[in-house]
Amino acid sequence: MDRPAPVKADVSLRVPAEGAYVSVLRTMTAGLAARLDFTVDDIEDLRIAVGEACALVLPVATPGGDLEAEFRLTPASLTVSVRVETASRADLDYESFAWQVLSTLTAEATAHAGDQRLEVTFSMDSSLALSDGRQGAGG
Amino acid sequence: MTLDGGSGPQGSDLGRGALPGRVDGAREQHAWLFGQFRDTTALEASRLAARDGLVALHLPLVEHCARRFRNRGEPFEDLVQVGTIGLIKSIDRFDLGRGVEFSTYATPTIIGEIKRYFRDKGWAIRVPRRLQELRMQIGATTAELTQVLGRSPTPRELAEAIGCSVEEIVEGIESSNAYSTLSLDATDDSGEDGGVSMLEVIGLDDDELEQIEIRESIKPLIEALPSREKQILLLRFFKNKTQSEIASEIGVSQMHVSRLLSRTLAQLRRSLHESS
Repeated sequence: MDRPAPVKADVSLRVPAEGAYVSVLRTMTAGLAARLDFTVDDIEDLRIAVGEACALVLPVATPGGDLEAEFRLTPASLTVSVRVETASRADLDYESFAWQVLSTLTAEATAHAGDQRLEVTFSMDSSLALSDGRQGAGG
Repeated sequence: MTLDGGSGPQGSDLGRGALPGRVDGAREQHAWLFGQFRDTTALEASRLAARDGLVALHLPLVEHCARRFRNRGEPFEDLVQVGTIGLIKSIDRFDLGRGVEFSTYATPTIIGEIKRYFRDKGWAIRVPRRLQELRMQIGATTAELTQVLGRSPTPRELAEAIGCSVEEIVEGIESSNAYSTLSLDATDDSGEDGGVSMLEVIGLDDDELEQIEIRESIKPLIEALPSREKQILLLRFFKNKTQSEIASEIGVSQMHVSRLLSRTLAQLRRSLHESS
């Protein structure tokens, strides 16, 4: 597999809802982004964004529960959702440092709190596509 | 550097104690010192002095090599120090009869020594040598391509430039994170997957942090209060006086103090909410 299918590709991953597994998600994100022609800087931002998204949802996760991540791939953008089960409705703290970082790094970030789950979704565009679109120059 | 003078002073005929400073160019100085150092008939002390002289003479070469590794998280002085070990090794091993420049011979040895230092000392987590070298290549190529492209390169571009697969680039970038363990979810080295992550250790925010914010935002609000209200607040909450004590101190009834206090507090609370 050198490059994912261009139209629509979803990847999902389920790990225990524990901090130690965040690095797995970060690695996975970096691996996917690398194949979508994100730049090295974008990938570094994505790794941070995944870490912050997990930092937002993990503290309220039911102990022993799962952390589910979903990656939606399009040619020059990546949408990531991380989701945990919560014991009760847990609203996101939009004042938190993690949210500030996440919303600054990403093109779009949203959170959705259900009765027993909390989900954070963000998307990021490859700056290669952005700069090439502007300059019309190829690598 | 000039070589105009031709033959510099040679061998031990100058005797020990002769200052290399008497020789003009660095090249002659180098040749003379090497002659001195390799002269098996010379006294041990003069041979060692010549060796020291050679080290001192070529120190700028070490500094030059070490400068290439600046900004990689290791102090420049440390790099010069390990580079100097490489220099000493090259001086001891250099074969004058080969007809190559000493600097040509010494540079790879010095750089090798510095690289070995990075390999052995620099890494927080042991990473296979192949990846360590790839990481260096990725670092250098990233800098180069960023210049050329005007943005940071993609792993694909890096792979093409280096001549390896995208997989390897991803792996190499991943391994860079092992160089310094600053990541929040980095686990400690108590086990491969059972370590305690930073995220778990850091835990919760301190409650007092929010107090700071409240304290700072309430300050101007208190400043803006009428002086009598301000005084009542001060007496009640900072000097811990009872309402009756305050009442007698400023000459109003205790009921009035109570009313003023609750009004003032309500007002502060309201303005605090409005401002946030």
